[in-house]
Amino acid sequence: MALTEGKVEKSRLRASYLTTIISISLVLFVLGLEGLLLLHAKQLSDFVKENIGFSVYIKDDAKEVDIAQVRKLLDAEAFVKSTEYITKEEAGKMMQEDLGEDFISFLGYNPLLPSIDVKINAAYAHPDSLKYISENLSHNPIVHEVDYQENLVAVVNSNLKKIGVIILVFGGLLLVISIVLINNTIRLAIFSKRFLIKTMQLVGAKHSFITAPFVMKGITNGIVSAFIALLMLTGVLYYAQQEMPDLMKFRQPELYGALLLMVVSLGILISWFSTHIAVRKYLKLSSEDLY
Amino acid sequence: MENAVIHIQNANIFIKHNKVLEDVDLTINKGEFVYLIGKTGTGKSSFLRTLYADLPLKDGEASVAGFQLNGLKIKNIPMLRRKLGIVFQDFKLLTDRNVHENLAFVMKSTGWKDKAEMEKRINAVLERVGLPNKGYKMPFELSGGEQQRVAIARALVNDPELILADEPTGNLDPETSEEIMKLMLEISKNGKAILMATHDYDLMQKFPARKLKCEGGKIHDLQLVNS
Repeated sequence: MALTEGKVEKSRLRASYLTTIISISLVLFVLGLEGLLLLHAKQLSDFVKENIGFSVYIKDDAKEVDIAQVRKLLDAEAFVKSTEYITKEEAGKMMQEDLGEDFISFLGYNPLLPSIDVKINAAYAHPDSLKYISENLSHNPIVHEVDYQENLVAVVNSNLKKIGVIILVFGGLLLVISIVLINNTIRLAIFSKRFLIKTMQLVGAKHSFITAPFVMKGITNGIVSAFIALLMLTGVLYYAQQEMPDLMKFRQPELYGALLLMVVSLGILISWFSTHIAVRKYLKLSSEDLY
Repeated sequence: MENAVIHIQNANIFIKHNKVLEDVDLTINKGEFVYLIGKTGTGKSSFLRTLYADLPLKDGEASVAGFQLNGLKIKNIPMLRRKLGIVFQDFKLLTDRNVHENLAFVMKSTGWKDKAEMEKRINAVLERVGLPNKGYKMPFELSGGEQQRVAIARALVNDPELILADEPTGNLDPETSEEIMKLMLEISKNGKAILMATHDYDLMQKFPARKLKCEGGKIHDLQLVNS
């Protein structure tokens, strides 16, 4: 009988450590996710911006050589990420597919103009830059018109800015919440041992002698929690890359490394300091104040 | 004076801001066995707690086992307690470790290093309190009497000059109480001073000794009154 009771008591002790570890690792995991989001936010916003572009419509009578020349000039520009030449015929075919109707036979001629679709670098995805670039291009004699959606660019930019601020604020908030949550979990765990701590004091143990094992346990718990959080984060990354191969384009191992290192050190440091502070608190309280 | 383990002059005992005892004057010498009696709430525990510096001494002068209690620095409190063996009414064993580790904790925290020596000492004190071969037990696996003996073993482990016992038989049946009492008397015969708070008048009749009585906010030395 007594033996089973002993087992129950020991498993209860283990369970209390386990809950602490699980709580800390979950908080670290959420914090890591937020970190990943922050890392990818810049890349995602660049990705969106670089899909913004403009079309340069070429006059019908322009020569292929001149068109090739313009395209070459564009490709050489710093603001250009990529260009694509769409001939009159290709434009007609695309339009036909979109409409589902043979409009060329209906009209008797192809009214569309050949064009160069330009995708721009993220840094230039701003209404002012686009306006300047398009005005410059319009002076070219073979250019019929430069078309871009001024509104879209402005909306995308302002939305991305808002989202960026939200993610940043949210991240800061989450950091504070994590510290408070982990600190509370540890304080509760130490609170449950306050009478043990007082007894240790009464039998003549020095403060440092009492604190050291608690802090060591705290640091070990921090390391184990951080390790669990890392496993979960790696799992999420792996899954995301399987599901969204585009994410692979953004891979930056050194940034991931820095993030994971941050999660681990945060786990250890918070556990360390919280345990230390909590144990010291009960060492300083008088016996009456423990109840 | 040279023989005194406890020497107190004009002391007032406080819990926070409430004065519990006043004008305490007494001396307890090496090897003396002294009862501390009085109704509950008359300040017995507070007096003992002051002696082991769990309550600060605000008024008066007191020395315990060579330590001056008035103006005792926090960092010296552990040093004082190492000279004392304290037996609590509610045992106060470390419930998260077995008997052996309970004793080992006290020894390690007070500077024992040699494992073989520690082992020898632990076995010796457990033998002395009649609990050989129980070192592997967790406190909750022991009966009240056995836990109280472990608490006494813990108080003995550092061979203290003074043992303070706060109702060590309070939770025990008469037979076990008597065994514990005999153990305490035997310890005092070996030159340790023992101050034992108790309510057990049967025991006091069976094992007569000097009595200090807490009453009306004072400690009366019944030995002095009777003589």
